[in-house]
Amino acid sequence: MTKRTVSIVLAALFVITAAVIAGSGRSNEVPAPPAIGATVDEFTLPDVNGQEHTLKSLKGKNGTVLIFIAVQCPVSNAYNDRMEKLAEDYKDKGIAVIGINANSSEDAATVKAHAAEKHLTFTILKDAGNKVADKLGAARTPEAYFLDANNKLLYHGRIDNSQNPDAIESKDLRNALDSSLAGKPVEKPEAKAFGCSIKRA
Amino acid sequence: MRVSRLTLVVAFIVLLIYLTVPAQETVRTVRRAKPTTAPAMPTNVEPIDTAGLKDLISKPKDKPLLVNFWATYCDPCRDEFPDLVKVDSDFRPKSLDFVTVSLDDVTDIKTTVPKFLAQMKATMPAYLLNVTDPEPAINAVDPKWQGDLPATFLYNAKGEIVFKAFGRVNTAALREAIERLAKN
Repeated sequence: MTKRTVSIVLAALFVITAAVIAGSGRSNEVPAPPAIGATVDEFTLPDVNGQEHTLKSLKGKNGTVLIFIAVQCPVSNAYNDRMEKLAEDYKDKGIAVIGINANSSEDAATVKAHAAEKHLTFTILKDAGNKVADKLGAARTPEAYFLDANNKLLYHGRIDNSQNPDAIESKDLRNALDSSLAGKPVEKPEAKAFGCSIKRA
Repeated sequence: MRVSRLTLVVAFIVLLIYLTVPAQETVRTVRRAKPTTAPAMPTNVEPIDTAGLKDLISKPKDKPLLVNFWATYCDPCRDEFPDLVKVDSDFRPKSLDFVTVSLDDVTDIKTTVPKFLAQMKATMPAYLLNVTDPEPAINAVDPKWQGDLPATFLYNAKGEIVFKAFGRVNTAALREAIERLAKN
């Protein structure tokens, strides 16, 4: 029992009090997404098998689509077939589609099993600490980002206007990809839709 | 020995802090609880479009308005709903108007949505956003909102957003914001 013990106890008291105060005023704000035209920094994340990938190693020669997806979100699941078709359709056009699961409630094994069940064959990365979700200001699933060959953000937002495939009127993500491939500016570089909030760690 | 006693005192204070915080919440809830004698009415869910939603949030108010956007398919929406029903019974109609806006499919307007609201004994006015393009509605509410659910907005009588939460709402912070408005 020394002065040091007292100091340690007081320090612990301070930390616990701070934690209680911070907990009571908890904020769930998501960082702001990068502006359209901004360059997205290189990142490294593991896939569902634990193998690390860099953005550089996965990106297409004409660009990359990053889509935040989920296992349990019905909105994200409504888009499974559309995301798989997107990956197929643009593979030969030099645009890679990459899924990212940033939900703390869904581990790599769950994500892997879900992808197998839903026949998702594009690469899915596990962003366990929301590192990339925070960097991109991703708030919901599904939420897409289209980067050109130099990782410049050309489009951010929804895949299209409706979860219901019969009510699609505006294929915003595909329109952005097609414009970029045609060397034209993206007419609508941002578009929103409802989705499930990402469960951050 | 004196130091050891000091350690005990400090440990006691730590324990007190832990016990006091949830205790205050409980006291607050118990004090405001009303007898639930009224039977839960079957909830009628009204369709609303973007213009209707804009009108709802911008029309002149004589008290604060709380709007919760939710969907039956959204886990955190369902999880927070009992807390919101408590907020409703504690503050409405005396010092608050409260409406919910469901983002379920319009085909669920007479089935899944009212069924869930009835289970929750939710009696606040309930709407379902019936639009083809959700973007104008999201931007009309808050341009900074990405559309993630649930989302909760508290407007003062002037129609300004004074509190918002994306994802599951911190009920204690919401209650404080409502009480702050009631005092003004």
